[in-house]
Amino acid sequence: MTHAPYELDVRPILRAGGEPFKEIMEAVGGLASGQGLRLLATFQPVPLFTVLARKGFSHAAREIGDGDWEVIFTPAAPTVALSPSETDYPAEPGHPASVWPEPARHLDNRDLDPPEPMVRTLAAAEELQPGEVLSALLCREPLFLLPELKNRGYEWQGNFQDDKTTYKLLLRKPAKNEAAE
Amino acid sequence: MIGVSLSRWTMSYFTVALLALLGAEILMVAGFGYPNHAVFAPQTIALVHLVAVGWLSLLMCGALIQFVPVLVAKSLAHPNLPVVALILLVVGLVSLIVGFLDMAGLSVGSTPWLGLGAIGIAAGFALNVWNLGRTLWSARPIGLPARFVVLGLLSLMAVVSLGSIFSASLVGWTTNDILLRLTSEGIPLHAALGLGGWLTFTAMGVSYRLLAMFMLAPEDEHRTSRFAFMTGSAAILILLIVGPTCLLILGQSVAHPMLIALGLATVSLSLYVQDMRRLYRTRRRLKIELNARMAAVALGGLGLGNLLLLLVTATGQTDRRIGAVVFVLAFGWLTGLGLAKLYKIVAFLTWLECYGALLGKRVTPRVQDLVNEPRTLPWFWLYFLSVVAALAAASLEAPIAFRIAALGMLIATAKICFDLVSIRFLRSVPASMLPEGDRAWPRLFLPRLQHFQR
Repeated sequence: MTHAPYELDVRPILRAGGEPFKEIMEAVGGLASGQGLRLLATFQPVPLFTVLARKGFSHAAREIGDGDWEVIFTPAAPTVALSPSETDYPAEPGHPASVWPEPARHLDNRDLDPPEPMVRTLAAAEELQPGEVLSALLCREPLFLLPELKNRGYEWQGNFQDDKTTYKLLLRKPAKNEAAE
Repeated sequence: MIGVSLSRWTMSYFTVALLALLGAEILMVAGFGYPNHAVFAPQTIALVHLVAVGWLSLLMCGALIQFVPVLVAKSLAHPNLPVVALILLVVGLVSLIVGFLDMAGLSVGSTPWLGLGAIGIAAGFALNVWNLGRTLWSARPIGLPARFVVLGLLSLMAVVSLGSIFSASLVGWTTNDILLRLTSEGIPLHAALGLGGWLTFTAMGVSYRLLAMFMLAPEDEHRTSRFAFMTGSAAILILLIVGPTCLLILGQSVAHPMLIALGLATVSLSLYVQDMRRLYRTRRRLKIELNARMAAVALGGLGLGNLLLLLVTATGQTDRRIGAVVFVLAFGWLTGLGLAKLYKIVAFLTWLECYGALLGKRVTPRVQDLVNEPRTLPWFWLYFLSVVAALAAASLEAPIAFRIAALGMLIATAKICFDLVSIRFLRSVPASMLPEGDRAWPRLFLPRLQHFQR
């Protein structure tokens, strides 16, 4: 069963000079299983993205006028890696996608201004532990990101999803012994 | 390779192109060419080629070698061929202009400059068409924006072929009746295919994708876009096939095919403008950036140019008024769009070049941090207002007023160029965020050596 996202408007708190972090975390704690959070703020709450990503939420942020932002945090459904036949790029021999671990982090970068999706994806990729996998949803094929991932030694695979507008990218930081090879 | 890397030679194309634009504007301020000279005077033709080949075509080629790979998600077939093409194009253009000055009475010796110029330009464009064509071919089936580019490149080949025939006839390399007839009556086809088929149709195709990307607008393919492509392609094919057929086989003038092509082009442009309005309306990036705002003004220039073309055709004043129409299409539409897009493209490419390898590893600036839009914006307005003033002066046949307006265009362009150089040198980036260590400072217009080591 899916719930409508819980709505939290922290703009009055922010305009009064207050700090809404406690309210936000209480709201997150009170969400039903599978329920999202719709947050309204007077700026793009970037630090919050990382905090809630650790709790398994992906986010979609958009500016709604007058400098205000709407961010929808969605709890990530358990995802499995794409099978090799689904991808336009095969995983490295010996490390097929089917043996990649579940993604340690999920990003939803679909509503970000370019090149922000590339910036966020690389920033999150750098935080991965060796061997960990990151999943990122993008609104177009990340043509400038892919050569950079290759330069940094990441394995990646990606393709467009059934809706034809979402590009799902999985990338894996090489394990220490692989990196040393 | 999957993905797209930075084009090594795009900045070199942009630099030469901007120098050609500044040179052309200096000539206009000095009273060289239209409207001080007649539309078909050698001085005007030299100026037209400096703008059409030196500025607009080099700008377009520089953009295409970077963005055709983005349109079709394939790497450029030959990454270093563009520099050979650029050298041939520059040498060819200089020879061509010297040839026109020779026709204007300036003594430059007995070298067949026009012929040599045509060879250089044809060879340079041929290399770029081959390179882009192979890239597009390897990506079949291609999307709608890339198909616009294919028709644009086809038009370019036709323009260059006609231009080469004209040059060969003018320097006396051929006395073939058919080629001489093409030379005396084919100029409208050459101009329409160049300004319309090559420059405008290609710009339309690229803008479908680029404007959508920069404004975060949905890129669904609409029926209007497909009709815009079909009617525009039909206009190009009529110029390409029916025009020469009328001239060489039926022994008629090219007036009728030109008229039909104009009608079809008007339908295509109306649909295109409607598509662009939808992109602006459905964009998700609420704050509209300088490049998108100024591109909208340039689209107004396209509408105005098309309207004036219909007007002078309907009233039978093409011979007297065509100069003003070409002026507004070249400077209001194509140059306006080109400068606006350069402001975004140069910032983005410089950002990627300087910070691509640092992203996620340390604090990096955003692309917007490389530009200072409030500082540059007034100069774009000065540019467009000067174009309107120059158009009015040309229409009223007031050459002194035209030169003053051209001075406004020159000052505005020079300031925009200065701001582009500032972007290249990261002058707006706070000192704490300048790239260090493994990243050298960007070079103004040449690729860095490590590009070749990868």
